[in-house]
Amino acid sequence: MTQTRLAVTLRGVKKSFPLGNGRALEALNIGEWALPAGGCTVMTGPSGSGKTTLLNLIAGVSVPTAGTIFVHDTDLCALPEPRRDRFRAQHIGYVFQTFNLLSAFSALENVMLAMMFADAIPRPQQRQRAGEILSRLGLGARLSHKPQHLSRGEQQRVAIARALANKPPLILADEPCASLDAATATEVLEEFLTVCREDGKTLFIVSHDEVVLGAGDQVVDIAEINHPGYRQDAA
Amino acid sequence: MLRERRGVRLTVLTVALRSLRGRFVASALTALSIALGISLVIASVLLSRGIKEGFLEGTTDYSLVVGAKGSPTQLVLNVVFRMDVPTPNILYRSYRQLLDDPRVEVAVPVALGDAYQGFRYVATTGAYFAAFPWRRKVFAVSSGRFFRDDAPEQPTYEAVVGAEAARRTGLRVGDRFYEGEEMAEYPLAVVGILRSTGSADDRAIFFTLASFWEMNEVSRKMKIKPLTAVLVRPKRMSDLPSLHRGLNVSTETQAVFPSAVLLTIFNLLSLAEEVLTMILTTVVIVVLLYLFISMYSATLERKREIATMRALGARRATILGIVLLESCALAVIGGVAGILGGHGAAYLGASLLAARGGLVTNLSLVSALEPVVFASVIFLGALAGLLPAVLAYRTEVAENLAPLS
Repeated sequence: MTQTRLAVTLRGVKKSFPLGNGRALEALNIGEWALPAGGCTVMTGPSGSGKTTLLNLIAGVSVPTAGTIFVHDTDLCALPEPRRDRFRAQHIGYVFQTFNLLSAFSALENVMLAMMFADAIPRPQQRQRAGEILSRLGLGARLSHKPQHLSRGEQQRVAIARALANKPPLILADEPCASLDAATATEVLEEFLTVCREDGKTLFIVSHDEVVLGAGDQVVDIAEINHPGYRQDAA
Repeated sequence: MLRERRGVRLTVLTVALRSLRGRFVASALTALSIALGISLVIASVLLSRGIKEGFLEGTTDYSLVVGAKGSPTQLVLNVVFRMDVPTPNILYRSYRQLLDDPRVEVAVPVALGDAYQGFRYVATTGAYFAAFPWRRKVFAVSSGRFFRDDAPEQPTYEAVVGAEAARRTGLRVGDRFYEGEEMAEYPLAVVGILRSTGSADDRAIFFTLASFWEMNEVSRKMKIKPLTAVLVRPKRMSDLPSLHRGLNVSTETQAVFPSAVLLTIFNLLSLAEEVLTMILTTVVIVVLLYLFISMYSATLERKREIATMRALGARRATILGIVLLESCALAVIGGVAGILGGHGAAYLGASLLAARGGLVTNLSLVSALEPVVFASVIFLGALAGLLPAVLAYRTEVAENLAPLS
């Protein structure tokens, strides 16, 4: 009998946001859910259904109100914040809907910045590594360009390169094509998937986009897992 | 072809500096305001200290200044520092009496009159330049010689020009000069140029009493010639009180201790310094507030960037360090520019004061002041950046990563 490796495991995860006067809005209530390692999983669902909240919990940028989140074999909730930051920097790449590139830094420096925080790649190799990833994504001639001098498609490629910089096994992407036109979205997504597949990454994308949904190895509707008491076993 | 700069590694410091460059105008204005504030502090302290030391260095070696009744401060300011208007005259016989006094070692007559191109005429005798064992000030000529003492009926019209006066007027040995057509009959001949003494004597033109009396229409007709003051050194310091008392009892003269007048001047200066300190403290507080507001608003504007860095794995402490370094970097840039600018302003101020007859010395390039100011600026820069850094430290990541609508 073979056992499927799991990239992320959620158990009894709840996330509430205080509304004041002792009341709270429960955004997430997931009994049990797991993301298999390798391949591309796309999570879909209407706006406000908790997709980005789930992504932030898996990335460790916020903590659940209750429950446990394992990324590979590490219990994120058990880590103190500085170690969680370090874990995120080294094991998780994050691609944002609006790219979130730092305007004061060039494309190369934006990628190097992620390496500086993670300290996983030896410093003398960081510049070379950043240049290689950007070149792989077709930005070899744009290394010294500031984000404001790049097209939106190029900006998202830089964001993808930044997410891959520290060779993390897990890549999270929040609506990666929502800020791009259809043609560019298709092109960028294709490159993104190719690079992740070639490197054997686990890609978890949150999106409404039909193009993205069609590209996933499996599609999960958040409404299927985000119910109190609802339980989904890992495939 | 675009070239990527090589060799620059990203560190917390380079990230901070790059962030400052990313908001260049705001950063430059903040650094400029710090520089202006520090310049003001440095220039004020240097000038105030320079004025004090100028008074100390420029003071006379004589123990008493004897002049006409009136303000002691005016007498010393005029006779020793060549400031203020001259006091009324005393009679030449007062000088003769002092010369004959067995308690007096040296008595030097001085008559102050008009000026040539703003440089005061000082009529005296050769004793004014004489060296004595108790004398700190040394007079020497850089060219020519000292004037010869002359008989009252045979004025020589020989002049010795102070170093600064010679430099500014362009007078050289052998030149003849006069101020005003009415003095054309009595031209003075330059026989010597003094070396710099670091005192008001650098800005004076010296010649003999006989020449002075002959040049002046009123004194020319007077049988008993006038003087402005007599500089006195007693044989024994123990005779000083009795000399002082005796001269002050006289209805014609007063005797003044230059050191006592200097103390009065310093008391006045210290009052001005207290007011200046209050103003400078306010300036420093305003500059600090400006730096704080600049860093605070920059942090508020950059919450998304900070959240992004945190999402990329930057620890809270790293973010705190970046913002603190930004604040300190602005303080360092403003501090260095301020210290340089302050020295420039102080030299400019000293030149202006010197041109107006004021004494400012010792505007040294570096003293204990600069390191203290520099260290304080960095400390205060870090202090001003502390709250914005804490704000950045506490930035909620998930909240600030939400897509912009």
